[in-house]
Amino acid sequence: MKLGDFARNRLHILPSIAALLALLAAPQVSLAAAPQAATQATESSAEAPAADARSPNVADATAPAAEAAEGSTVEAAPADAATDYTPLGPEWIKGAPESGALTFQEQFSADGEFALFMHDAILMPIITAICLLVLALLIWVVVRYNRRANPVPSKTSHNTLIEVIWTVVPVLLLVVIAIPSITLLARQYESPPADALTVKATGYQWYWGYTYPDNGGFEVISNMLDEGEAIARGEPAQLAVDNRMVVPAGEPIRIQVAGADVIHSFGIPSLWFKIDAVPGRINERMLFIKEPGIYYGQCMELCGARHAYMPIAIEAVPRPRFEAWVRSKGGTLGEPDPTAPAPETPLQEPESSIEGAPGAGAPPTEDTAPGQEA
Amino acid sequence: MAFIGVGLALGMLGLGYAAVPLYDLFCRVTGFGGTTQVATEAQAATAAAQASSAGAPVMSIRFDANTARDMPWQFKPRQVTDKVQIGQRDLAIYEAKNLSAVPITGTATFNVEPKQAGKYFNKIQCFCFTEQTLQPGQEVSMPVLYYVDPAALDDPNMKGVEQITLSYTFHRSK
Amino acid sequence: MATTADTFQAHTDEHHHDADHKPSFFARWFMSTNHKDIGTLYIIFSIFAGIVGGAISGLMRAELAEPGVQLMGQVTAWLNGGSMDFDQQLHTWNVLITAHGVIMVFFVVMPATMGGFANWFVPLMIGAPDMAFPRMNNIAFWMLMAAFGSLLLSFFFPGGIGQGAGTGWTIYAPLSTSGSVGPAVDFAIFAIHLSGASSIMSSINFITTIFNMRAPGMTLHKMPLFAWSVLVTAFLLLLALPVLAAAITMLLTDRNFGTTFFDASGGGDPVLYQHLFWFFGHPEVYIMILPGFGIISQIVATFSRKPVFGYLGMAYAMVAIGVVGFIVWAHHMFTVGMDVNTKMYFTAATMVIAVPTGIKIFSWIATMWGGSLEFKSPLVWALGFIFLFTVGGVTGVVLANGGIDDNLHDTYYVVAHFHYVLSLGAVFTLFAGFFYWFPKMSGRMHSELLAHIQFWVFFIGVNIIFFPQHFLGMNGMPRRYPDYTPAFQYWNEISSWGVPIMAASLVIFFINMAYAFTAGKKAPANYWGDGATTLEWSLSSPPPYHQFETLPVIEDHHSHHDAIGPTPAKA
Repeated sequence: MKLGDFARNRLHILPSIAALLALLAAPQVSLAAAPQAATQATESSAEAPAADARSPNVADATAPAAEAAEGSTVEAAPADAATDYTPLGPEWIKGAPESGALTFQEQFSADGEFALFMHDAILMPIITAICLLVLALLIWVVVRYNRRANPVPSKTSHNTLIEVIWTVVPVLLLVVIAIPSITLLARQYESPPADALTVKATGYQWYWGYTYPDNGGFEVISNMLDEGEAIARGEPAQLAVDNRMVVPAGEPIRIQVAGADVIHSFGIPSLWFKIDAVPGRINERMLFIKEPGIYYGQCMELCGARHAYMPIAIEAVPRPRFEAWVRSKGGTLGEPDPTAPAPETPLQEPESSIEGAPGAGAPPTEDTAPGQEA
Repeated sequence: MAFIGVGLALGMLGLGYAAVPLYDLFCRVTGFGGTTQVATEAQAATAAAQASSAGAPVMSIRFDANTARDMPWQFKPRQVTDKVQIGQRDLAIYEAKNLSAVPITGTATFNVEPKQAGKYFNKIQCFCFTEQTLQPGQEVSMPVLYYVDPAALDDPNMKGVEQITLSYTFHRSK
Repeated sequence: MATTADTFQAHTDEHHHDADHKPSFFARWFMSTNHKDIGTLYIIFSIFAGIVGGAISGLMRAELAEPGVQLMGQVTAWLNGGSMDFDQQLHTWNVLITAHGVIMVFFVVMPATMGGFANWFVPLMIGAPDMAFPRMNNIAFWMLMAAFGSLLLSFFFPGGIGQGAGTGWTIYAPLSTSGSVGPAVDFAIFAIHLSGASSIMSSINFITTIFNMRAPGMTLHKMPLFAWSVLVTAFLLLLALPVLAAAITMLLTDRNFGTTFFDASGGGDPVLYQHLFWFFGHPEVYIMILPGFGIISQIVATFSRKPVFGYLGMAYAMVAIGVVGFIVWAHHMFTVGMDVNTKMYFTAATMVIAVPTGIKIFSWIATMWGGSLEFKSPLVWALGFIFLFTVGGVTGVVLANGGIDDNLHDTYYVVAHFHYVLSLGAVFTLFAGFFYWFPKMSGRMHSELLAHIQFWVFFIGVNIIFFPQHFLGMNGMPRRYPDYTPAFQYWNEISSWGVPIMAASLVIFFINMAYAFTAGKKAPANYWGDGATTLEWSLSSPPPYHQFETLPVIEDHHSHHDAIGPTPAKA
């Protein structure tokens, strides 16, 4: 039943309904929640030791510890860490799927919180009630109107009143849904302010490139880490990437998305954000990440063989730290001087082609990646 | 009845194909999907006069450049953003360089974001109207002459729009 | 059945003496023009294709039982002549999801509903001797065979990185054009072309049959709801499929003749393809479910021994669903980058569909209300359908909200949603209809016990498969992934455990069939009793090779609902 997630996570919204549902969904919730709770407990308590335990397997044994130290002080990180930028450590992972979870990931954008509220407080109660109503009616007719209980069927085949009711009530329910739905859409389509940071995410077969046109136009190429390396860094396999998309937290960002070859889709569940990357045009949407952290996403539109292997990792950091990161990438800050020639945009030379050329599909490495900033 | 059925099927088939030019026309007329408009000098002059008498505000314009994966050109705007008074014409320059050893002809596709700005974004001149051929190593500066229609000021959908992005993607011509 | 002195019985001639003269085996099954034989062929083909499509889904669920790519290697080696490069294995996965989608949509559900049941029972229900164009009926079936052949061929041709078409059933450009080099995609597109042409011919046939060949007195408003559902579906097919044909023809020319309809480099727009595809694709989902609605209406009325509640409302709800189905397509493309007004419109329009669908659900319940329910297997499948379709329907309301869809689009939530309305919705109607009419078609009774057991096993199996997928989707698992991050393993594993349960239910089904054909009792004309009042129950089981050589006359008994449900008092 859909009751489970509602009862489990959203008790504060509609306690009465939730209590009822929890009662009904008790077996399922306990089934699902028990192993999950166990996993969570293991993960949180064993996080740091686990990283240490794994570290002997990798060359840089001190990295996890260093990252942990750095990450925990990120709020106060000095802005002048000029060219040396240390990415956030795994303890900053906020937007990631959870094992055994029954509902959405926790939301870290205002629109995401509103959408989640709408889902949990409006949609879930309505659809759960409809399902239960239909189930109850079915059980009732099965019990009351079976051949033994009711040997002589009635001849009723019309009842105008009831037909009007079951037409009008759904219409009203839909209006109840439509109002917040339209509000949500309007909020999602708010335009970013003119001075918002712009990041262009380009989908390639099969990796993402993040261009920062306001900061000198450098492009960061982001490839998935292989499983061993992801685990060594304490990150989830198949979501971890070598170069994250670093953005400032707590301010509006203009995300522009384009596809270089086929259609990809830039989706981050914990930010309630998804927009397709279509070749030959850009799509724009405002993103506002409330707090620093790492937020994972994945390509959401079938784009060929390695569709499952082009994750997105957004690293949201406070503004000064973001600026430090930009400098570490050789980028510029502030308005570019209109008289100076714009910095050269690195040419995007496709590393992997779709046509089965030699090395087809191979994601670029450190050495071959186009636009890779050393 | 059968003939009506066949007729309906053929009619829908025809509509399916007709969708291509119709969609194109629809986009160009309504600015759907961020399709920009084409304006004449005269229209531009009218818009400018109208805007200056109304004291139109300033709009930030962002210039975005992309190349398709099989396009060995370097292509970028000379200026990433610019501010222009609504209604006033402005000239933007894009720079392109053929990095390959053969002459290459390219065509540019374009759109603007936010999408509702498409019908107010008027181009008087644009390199995207025609194909461009660059010799090996040749570098060119390509102009776009445009203005933002003051009618945008009256459109509730344009409320809150502070910046319009004009995006081009160069493709190898086929 | 002695108890069923059917209203129509008096008007149907007993013409078994020469009506049962059947042609030789080859002429009967390969050159058939008989609607019942063609219907049988469609049903057999649909079951066969269902086994293929189901086996593919079993393979997919097995692969998804744990993270990593484990099972694609063998399939890849088989398809690629020994080569099993990792990218080829991933491509094989895409081939499987494509094949699963195309097979289930075009070669299982549509042939079973429109090809099988509609061919069999529309002429019987409206009192017609056969379809209007028997030869076109035949060619439509054999074109579908050619289409299936073309799809199977596509597995053995290059389609980019590996063998086969790995574009998804939606064949989005440019992945399907510049992104998939090789003839595989051409074969797959050709398969859809042929099956589309076949369906268009069938639709014209049904429309003509229903409009021109109803027995005297069988007005449209007396016609059984199954015939209504087929009529609406035929119109949807007729209007939607040509658009798909146009779209995929343009894909073919983009692929092979250098046109750029959907190629940005030549001024085309890949998004236009999506608009065209979903202009077909959304009506297509109603094409798959509407005949099921009709079947459920017949079954619910039969086993309640009551006429359908709100007959006209039911008929016109289907018409409304069909009409509204044409103006909501872009909700499949909410994330493609559309402006806010467009998205608001499609959100609102999509939600409107919930209203006629709700009317149908509640009318079925109202039909049973006050009825005298007999829990024969078709009714049990129908009850299962009504509940599960409701569950699938309400998640559709969630997805209809463009802003909510921003998170759920292309995730497993969508997969769960459309499997609830199709795999648990449409397929339940197929089994319901099958057990309802199987003795009528074959002349043999199946085992009700086995049919009930199969229902429960199937019900448990498919719910275990698809319910957890809601959780996966909400938690962010994207569709069409052969591999996933370990956090998704928990529900994926549980989901995969549903497959053996579902497979067991299908084994029970085939045992039931074996039982019916070897030891099944001979079926009487009306084996469901008083509630079964449509014209097919006035004929023997199986019906004579040619029925209604003298047309039955449907009399007007003041209330026009007598035609669909004469009360037992008349019996």
